[in-house]
Amino acid sequence: MTTTVTVEFTGDLPPAPFAAFAAHRAARLSVVHEVVAQDAGRAVIRLTGAAALVEAFEMALSLGPAECLVRDVRRLETASGGGAR
Amino acid sequence: MSGWTPVALAADLPPGTVAGVVLRSEEIVLWRDGAGPPHAWKDRCPHRGMKLSFGFVRRDRLVCLYHGWEYGADTRCALIPAHPDLDVPETIRATPWQVAETGGLLWVGSRDAGQPPDLPEAMPLRSLFLDAPLDTARTRLRSGGLPGLGEVDLIGDGPLLRFAQGGHLFAVGGHEIGPAACALHLTSDGTAAARAALVPATAALRREVRAQSRGAAA
Repeated sequence: MTTTVTVEFTGDLPPAPFAAFAAHRAARLSVVHEVVAQDAGRAVIRLTGAAALVEAFEMALSLGPAECLVRDVRRLETASGGGAR
Repeated sequence: MSGWTPVALAADLPPGTVAGVVLRSEEIVLWRDGAGPPHAWKDRCPHRGMKLSFGFVRRDRLVCLYHGWEYGADTRCALIPAHPDLDVPETIRATPWQVAETGGLLWVGSRDAGQPPDLPEAMPLRSLFLDAPLDTARTRLRSGGLPGLGEVDLIGDGPLLRFAQGGHLFAVGGHEIGPAACALHLTSDGTAAARAALVPATAALRREVRAQSRGAAA
């Protein structure tokens, strides 16, 4: 099932390494990602992909790159769509 | 890294098994599927970074020990057990090295390594892990061969040292694990006597190379 979610990451998030890590993980998991907002303490990312892989992306980014410390992950909205297996 | 480097005895990786090696601080997993060809990948699961060398082979796939993600010989993730119905995207892949099996050894190469060496079959003897730089071990072998086996006649130099000694023909490949650690992989021309001769010789070689390495560092 394809899903679209917007996820907010908060913590110590230097923008460059966090964005690079997000792009790398999104490419690996075939998840479409769009950075909606970002500063040194917060990143909001919209994700579209298979639900299981979107969850895998969230989990990967909750661990973050070495330069970052993610303190909280929160879903802001969810929109599920059908059928892509 | 460029070129090809011997990293293990081929006989030490039977079909259906997994082994980890370190080449100049790069961690590499070696594994064979049931059909026998070797595979060499970066030793990290793309999922959570677990060492794939901790995993196991099932149905000709390398399975990560952590969450059971399964990778086929083409490096693609074929199954995520937590989501068995998921059509796993082809972007989830292990990172391959080039690998070749020749001369009784497993060799890994960089992407631009070109053709691997073409060597005759050889009898595997043993791998020897030393707390010394690879150059120290190779210099020792070039000058005196294996301790206690008499005069040495150096036949070939390069990634593989080949020498005749004590009536046997030895070939020794080596790889650098780190600045002060290396592994030597010894093969011979196939006589059982060479294997018997090797036991005391390798123990003495280990002592000599370690002493030389410590002397150089002091």
